[in-house]
Formats: sequence, structure tokens, C-alpha cells
Amino acid sequence: MRQSPALRSLSTPILLSLLLVCFALAAVFAGSRPFNQTIIDIFLQVIFVVGLYTFVGNSGVISFGHIAFACLGGYVAAWTTIKPMLKGGAMPGLPDWLMQTEIPYWASALVAALWAALWAGIFGSVLMRLSGIAASIATFAMLAMVNSIYSNWESVTSATSSVVGIPIVRVIWPYLIAAIIAVFVAWAYSISRHGLALRAARDEPTAAAASGIDIPRARLIAFVLSGGIMGAGGALYAHSIGIVTPDTFYLGLTFTTLSMLVVGGMSTLSGAVLGVLILSTLIQVLRWLEAGVQIGTSTFALPGGVQEIALGAVMIVILMFRPTGIMGNKELNLPMAGSEKAGRQGPEPQTTNKE
Amino acid sequence: MSLLTLSNVSVRYGRLTAVRGVSFSLAEGEVLFITGPNGAGKSSLLRAIAGVTPPAGGRIDFEGHDITGRAPEDIARLGLSMVPEGRDVFGGLTIEENLLVGTGMHAAERGWRARAASELEAVYATFPILKDRRHAQAGLLSGGQQQMLVIGRALMTNPRLVAIDEPSLGLAPNITDQVYERLIALRAERKLTLLIVEQSSTRAMLVGGRMMLMRGGEILLDGDARALGQSEAMQAAYFGYGEH
Repeated sequence: MRQSPALRSLSTPILLSLLLVCFALAAVFAGSRPFNQTIIDIFLQVIFVVGLYTFVGNSGVISFGHIAFACLGGYVAAWTTIKPMLKGGAMPGLPDWLMQTEIPYWASALVAALWAALWAGIFGSVLMRLSGIAASIATFAMLAMVNSIYSNWESVTSATSSVVGIPIVRVIWPYLIAAIIAVFVAWAYSISRHGLALRAARDEPTAAAASGIDIPRARLIAFVLSGGIMGAGGALYAHSIGIVTPDTFYLGLTFTTLSMLVVGGMSTLSGAVLGVLILSTLIQVLRWLEAGVQIGTSTFALPGGVQEIALGAVMIVILMFRPTGIMGNKELNLPMAGSEKAGRQGPEPQTTNKE
Repeated sequence: MSLLTLSNVSVRYGRLTAVRGVSFSLAEGEVLFITGPNGAGKSSLLRAIAGVTPPAGGRIDFEGHDITGRAPEDIARLGLSMVPEGRDVFGGLTIEENLLVGTGMHAAERGWRARAASELEAVYATFPILKDRRHAQAGLLSGGQQQMLVIGRALMTNPRLVAIDEPSLGLAPNITDQVYERLIALRAERKLTLLIVEQSSTRAMLVGGRMMLMRGGEILLDGDARALGQSEAMQAAYFGYGEH
């Protein structure tokens, strides 16, 4: 009985993970290389959106800067997994010990998570005192800073040219496992006392402060954790395509990630995951239609470029009818007895005469 | 024995003085209504007592501790909880989560959920409606239920004195009746001392107890609610007749 809130909400990450497993199985049964890659991209996007959700969803502060942590993570993959011979040519400025380092992809993802979390802690201790739009713009400035450092520090990042030679991982399972881990980490955080404190501060900052919640600290914990998730996602992204450039992790990815979160529903984990799954599926269907579908003897194909337009239109329609996203404030849950039993005693008229 | 003692407390916002040298003491188990018109300084006085707005002068003692200017969470831990005006529930959290935040679990270490569980059951016993909807989002509750929730949240620290700012604000009269019914029952169950701010004296006359009338930052009248409520002096003081 005591543990019931935690146990009850455990159904959310389990259901979401099952959904991800379904996507993975679909890829296995389809057995086609491009489709496999599509599903891998979806899992990576799930990691990014869940990472962003961990901060944005719980704190209510929109961040435009989280892809910077993916960038930090992506370059950690480049620094630690490329063969030493290749590394010397592209990034001659790396310290000797790093030049000789060659670790497996999963270890690079872990190191990337720690490295990104470290920088999230450094940036966050300054940024978390800000609220609202000021905080959002400051996170955007952070993204721009990271991007311009990585675009210009030629000896360690190869500047704007692509860093090649990152070992490519083509099997789907590591990405699936990473996405599921991200979902569970985000869930565990949001029901922890730190997550609870941050969500209270999101809803009513004054009352939360009066309850003794240190808001900048609560935000910082979420920022570090979400930075870590983004860092791991960035490293895996690098392993999925084998190359990184600073612009891989810049505005394009930032806006895809944000819009998937907004369309899914910013304040819930289910919204984060479903936003990715629904929009990615939609993108894929539109791509197929653009490529042409055989109906009987005739081929039906949409004109090129319709995909982007249709995607935009669908997003507008979704947000018109569900301004708080597809999931709104609801988590995906098993219906359980007594959870949402109506306890209303008829309508209670409310007037608003204030002192 | 007096639980709460104020001596010469004043509250200022910049140049504006909201409370001017208020002194009174409150005995254990008492119900005290502070009434008065808009801008009388009632809420400011309450906020000063709870530590939300530090007083500009004077001294506040609670159970023999000097609590003047201490942080709200420290004061709450000593057993003085405040229910602020306007039912500021955490709308995106469930009812149960709202109550858990009320424990001040930031200070608690491991096992805070287990420690909070007994408080939780006590609050649910007082407000069964909250238990029925424990996993519902607080933002979806009706006004009366939200008022019960913020009172429940204030009870999570197991206080001896609860200070409530306008529990009837924005509620229909029959809902206000329900809220007061629970408050009166609570007082008996937990031997609570209540300090309630209301704009009108009607409620104080119904409930009984002690009543003070504030106006212009000062206490003008202090006495039995029912006797005061019917007196000419009360009306005169409330509306300020005979001052011009």
C-alpha cells in the first residue's frame, strides 16, 4: 500500500519500453537495411527527446541548448573510438593518452554521458538561477558557444570538416537498450524526491519555495541528469553514422527534438516517447509515399517536398486540437482499480471575487 | 499558557506600513478570527507570523521560541503551518504528491516516503475525498477540494497551530460550510489552535471563538466573536464611521 504510487507509475516505463520493443521487432521482421537504419534513428531520437524531457518536462523551463550536450558526447565517441592512426591525421592536437585510447562503443557512450553531465553541471550552476524566457535564451547561447568552439578548434575537433572513422554499429539492440535505459532513468528521476520537488516548483514556485525547496538546486540536478542522457545519445548517434561534424548537432536536431517533445506533450514521459514514435512514423510514411506506392498497375507518388509540408501541417493540426500535446498531462498507464474514481460531489460553483 | 505571542509587530513594504505595532497572544486550543476590510493588513500579519514576509519590527514567540524573521520552513518544522490565500496547489502533481511536498521532504533523507506514510493516512482520515482521488491531478479538483488539499498539505508537518488566509475566498457558501466543518472537527481531533483570516465577520459569528478586527494595520477590537459581531462598535470600526 505504501509503495503503491511508485509501483503504480512503474507501468508507464514498462509500457513505453514494450512499445519500443515492438518497433525493434518490426525492423527485425522487415529485414531491410534502410528500414533497420530508420528504426535506429527513431531510438536515438527517443534518447534525445527523453533527455530533453528530463529537464524541460519536470522544470517547465524550455531549453534550446540540450543538443550541445549531444555534441559533446558525439565528439567523445570520436576521440575515444577512432583508430589511433586515423586520429593523428584528423585531430593532431589531442593529448597523447587520448590519442592512444581505443575503447568499445558502449564504453564511449558511458564516458560521453559523464563528460556531458560534467559540462551540464558547470553551465547549469550559472544558468539555473534564471527562469522563463531568459533561461531559454541563455541555453540557446550555450548551444551557440559549444558549436562555435567545436567548429573552430581545429586541432582537436577537425573544425567544420567531418571526423570519419568512428566504428559503425549497425545492429539495432544497443540502441533499443539505450533508449529503454533512458526511459527508466527519466521515470525514476521524476518520481524521486528531487523530481517531485522540481515538479512542485514548476507548478507553483512561491509555494514550493515556502515548502523549503531550493529551486536552482532542484533544477541543476535535472539539468545534469538530462545532459548525461543527451551525451550518451550523442555518442551513439556518432556510432550509428560513423562521422561527426559540429553541425550534425546544431539547429536542425535542436528543432526536431523540441518539436517532437512539444507535439507529444512536454510534461509527461509518455508524451516524450510517443511524440517521437508518432512523428517519426509519419515522416517514414510520407517518405514512402514520395518514393511511390504501387496500387494495382499504376504507381502513385507524391511530388517531392510534400513530406516537409505535410509534417508541418500535421503538427499544426495536432497542436490546434491538443495545445498541451498528444498526451497532455496524462501518462500512459494500465487502468487500475481506484485510480481515478470519480469523487466529485456534484458541480461546485466557483466565483472569483478576490480581496 | 500562550502558544503564540506577538509584541509590537510591524510589517512594511518599502515606505508603506501594512501592520503597525500589533501585539496579542493566542492560547493553546483557541480559535482566533482576524477580520477587517480590504488592505487592513490581515494577510501581511499572517505572512509575518509564518515567516514569509519578515517583520520590520517587534518580536514573535511561538512555544517559547523566538521565531521573528526565521525561514518559513523552520517555522513550519516548529509546528506552525500556514495555508496561504488562493489555494496554490501544485496543479500538475497528484493529490498524494502535493501532500508529500508538504512534509518538507527536502530535509528528509532516505525512507522519507515511509515516514510520510503515517501523516498521509492521518490527513486522508480527515479528508476522505482526498484519499478517493489520491492519484488524480490536483489541478483538476474543484475549488473546495483544492482548499481541503492545501489545508491537508499544511497538516503534513503535524503542526500545533495552523494559520489560514481566507479559506472562503472564491468558494460557494455551501462549500465554505464543508471546509469549516472539517476545520472545526480537526481542531477537536488534533487539539489544533487555529488562526483564521476572513474579510467578513459572518463566519466568525457562526463558528464562535475569539475575533479581532483590524483596520489600517492596527487591531481595533478584540473579544468574543458572537458578542462583538452584534455590537455597534464592530460596524463602526469596520466601516470607519465617525472618523471624519
